[in-house]
Amino acid sequence: MRRFVLRYLIPRITQYLTIIFVGVTVTFVIPRLSPTDPVEAQISTITARGSTLDPQSIESMRVALTELYGLSGSPVEQYFAFWGRLLRGDLGPSLSNFPTPVSELIGQALPYTLGLLVPALIISWTMGNLLGAMSSYYPKNRPLNAIEVLGQVVRPIPYYIVALVLLVVFGYFVPIFPFSGAYPIGTHPNWSIEFILTYIYHAVLPAATLVLVGFGGWFVGMKSLTSNIISEDYVEFAETAGLKKNKILFSYIIRTALLPQLTGLAMTLGTVFSGALIMEVVFGYPGLGSLTIRAIYSNDYSMIMGITIYSIIGVATAVFLMDLLYPLFDPRVRYQ
Amino acid sequence: MTSTAGGAATAAFWICGLQQLALDALWYIDPDAGIDGVWDNALASEPPIYNDDFTQMTVKLREGIYWSDGVEFTADDLYYTVDLLKNTPGMSNHGLFDGSIDHLEQPDRNTVVFYLKAPNSRFHAAFTVRWGAQYIMPKHIFEQVEDPVAFKYNPPVSLGAYTLRDFDPNGKWYLWERREDWQRTSVARLGEVSVKYVMYIDPGPSDKRVIAQIAHELDVIHDITPEGRITLARESPSSVGWFPSFPWAHPDPTLPAIIYNNERPGLDKKEVRWALTLAIDIAQVALASYKGAATISAIHVPPTGMYPQYYHEPLEPWLNDFTIQVGGQDYKPYDPTAAQRIADLARESLGDLVPTDPDTIKQYIGAGWWKYDLDAAEQLMLDAGMQKIDGKWALPDGSPFSVPLMSLGESNPTMNRAAAMVVENWAAFGIDTTLDAQANLWPIMDAGEYAAALAWTIETWGGHPDLFFFLNSWHSRFYVPSGQPDMGSNSMRWQNADLDRIIDTMQRISFDDPQGIELGQEYCKLAVQEMPITPLMAYNVFTTMDTTYFTGYPSIDDPYTNPVPNWGNTKYMFVKVKPREA
Repeated sequence: MRRFVLRYLIPRITQYLTIIFVGVTVTFVIPRLSPTDPVEAQISTITARGSTLDPQSIESMRVALTELYGLSGSPVEQYFAFWGRLLRGDLGPSLSNFPTPVSELIGQALPYTLGLLVPALIISWTMGNLLGAMSSYYPKNRPLNAIEVLGQVVRPIPYYIVALVLLVVFGYFVPIFPFSGAYPIGTHPNWSIEFILTYIYHAVLPAATLVLVGFGGWFVGMKSLTSNIISEDYVEFAETAGLKKNKILFSYIIRTALLPQLTGLAMTLGTVFSGALIMEVVFGYPGLGSLTIRAIYSNDYSMIMGITIYSIIGVATAVFLMDLLYPLFDPRVRYQ
Repeated sequence: MTSTAGGAATAAFWICGLQQLALDALWYIDPDAGIDGVWDNALASEPPIYNDDFTQMTVKLREGIYWSDGVEFTADDLYYTVDLLKNTPGMSNHGLFDGSIDHLEQPDRNTVVFYLKAPNSRFHAAFTVRWGAQYIMPKHIFEQVEDPVAFKYNPPVSLGAYTLRDFDPNGKWYLWERREDWQRTSVARLGEVSVKYVMYIDPGPSDKRVIAQIAHELDVIHDITPEGRITLARESPSSVGWFPSFPWAHPDPTLPAIIYNNERPGLDKKEVRWALTLAIDIAQVALASYKGAATISAIHVPPTGMYPQYYHEPLEPWLNDFTIQVGGQDYKPYDPTAAQRIADLARESLGDLVPTDPDTIKQYIGAGWWKYDLDAAEQLMLDAGMQKIDGKWALPDGSPFSVPLMSLGESNPTMNRAAAMVVENWAAFGIDTTLDAQANLWPIMDAGEYAAALAWTIETWGGHPDLFFFLNSWHSRFYVPSGQPDMGSNSMRWQNADLDRIIDTMQRISFDDPQGIELGQEYCKLAVQEMPITPLMAYNVFTTMDTTYFTGYPSIDDPYTNPVPNWGNTKYMFVKVKPREA
């Protein structure tokens, strides 16, 4: 156990903290290298929105916003102040929704993104890997071949095209699903059975799009991985020994091929923080993607930085957890 | 009644109904004709009273107005609002109030006197809504708050005819309910507020708005693509726009234009700016951007609201006779048939949707524009000393002359398509140009780090002819060289002694002085001669209203206000819009 802690756990915790430190530092530095000054961007946004401001007001606003955005003082002072706020969980106020804190807005949006993307990703990952392995192990099975063709056809189609087709077909021509939002206009999110069912009903089309587009990639990846494994000596030995097909498939083939797919799942889970942009715009979902788009259009720098930091922590944490789980799946790691 | 909001996690005040239904200001100027004239004394009982040298402004307030919590609105609220903002950095208008106001006096419960540090005949503009302005805050609420800058003011106490009944924390909808005592608000004197509930919603992008209105689930659409509007014209007979037919859209009192950096080599010559103007085919630009549903303007004010009557029509004879020097000869650049050409081209694809009557076309699509004349443009470039090397224009010393055109990217596809067509026109003329789509071009323009941009820098009252509203910051005393952020809307860095004289004279006369129109026309002529920016068209907004459940929407035939839902002035719709009787 001591050996595990010293040679496996501590290096990975160090790596995890280093990634977060570097990522957050880069998040701090990049906006300051940008030719666009957030203060000027915000003033421009206000003046471009129908308000013709007096030059005196503009000058005064420049001073006030510099203070408000934490841009006063030297870069080093700003950097330490930034870390100080971050460690207190304070990402500052949203500039476009001032004075609402960024963390509060992200907290409102995140459940919708996670609630849709995580289940859809797990479904497409499970289906893709299972069917991909089965397709490899049972190459003459016609239904599996048909599914493979479907996956291959849908996979290269851009996500938004599939989304729009499903929307037009099932939201307009055969209007059996709502065409916008995570819940009906006029209702409040709550934990009642009625609202949960409504939420699931609204999630069907976006989730179906994610599963349709996503599962093909997992399917092909798994089929490619397992096609080599099925000709390995230990698989042939298991067959010769008369083990059941299912036992061979799950314990000898899928388990061996699963490791890179698990890494892929971890990486993809981490990117749900930033990967929902198109989906949420197309389906009018009030999640992190919509929040990001609005932050970009309204030059809400503190919001963009907040979402980026959440994304960095999300990806790093997913990879870290997967590192910790590796030994459970792969005896070689455990042995080392 | 449902209307589109822009949608935000916590919506800004202009897209959730707050500035339309709950906030109120001293005065309103309608961008169109107004219910009872363009000027409306809302919380004030009469227009601002200035002393002779414009160093004092007295405001008399209306009596009998109440906040929605039952507290009476008085001069205490106005005094408190201005005093708080003047003394609180970080609040809007702090700079203006602190820099302009010496002190305030409140002689009685309905009067506030502003003592100004310097003469200012337009000080009331800060309190006069054209889209938005300084709204009045409730003293009895804010004086109990420790940090007014961070105060969320939720739920808001209303001075308007509605109160916030409910809202979605994710910003998808906001429900407003008519106040029981709506008669104690400033709009009540203009008519009955008949709509009991108003909901601002975020229905998603253009296609979803169109689908929702065809299904009669959305009464007012803020804006949609030209293609979406054409679909509604064909599929939804109950949908109406500002114009009863093509181009349907409401032309906002904003002027999209090609804005040149007047300090860039080449672009610092008016002959070059004129050459670039004559190298643009406005008909192609109108078709590319708005499918022809544009309202064009040859002069430097938008062709909207009352401005055709103040500026475009009186200047039409001057424009017809106006000449510039091309190759040492007088040349008349004005093309009075431009709008007719646009209508003819639009009719090829839209058929009977496009009007044929010349007067209607003039009213809907505008009058003339500048000729598309590449020969004259070429001669102007040569007159400016520019050289043509290998088919591309170069500076007089032979160095490259490059004019990339910035535009708003995905955030404004209509303007982006207009810019793409201008780039195509210029490239055909031999200009080294590319389309430079930016998510946010405003700070780049403010910093002067660009050659040309398709954007807007001219915002007018719409209903009132005074141009000081935007010209103020064009005075050379506010000039800032390229490389530093400017202090207003003179991102093109245009400096002109005649312009300074016009602005100074405007500032010395009262807001309603008829000389203001003369000065405005003088500015228009000067801008045409110098062409610091090339005017294009009004900012057309395809606000579309469904008449299935409500009637009485504003239109060109009853232009009592701007129907575009994010404008503060749309509060006047709620005394004219009536539920349709079953």
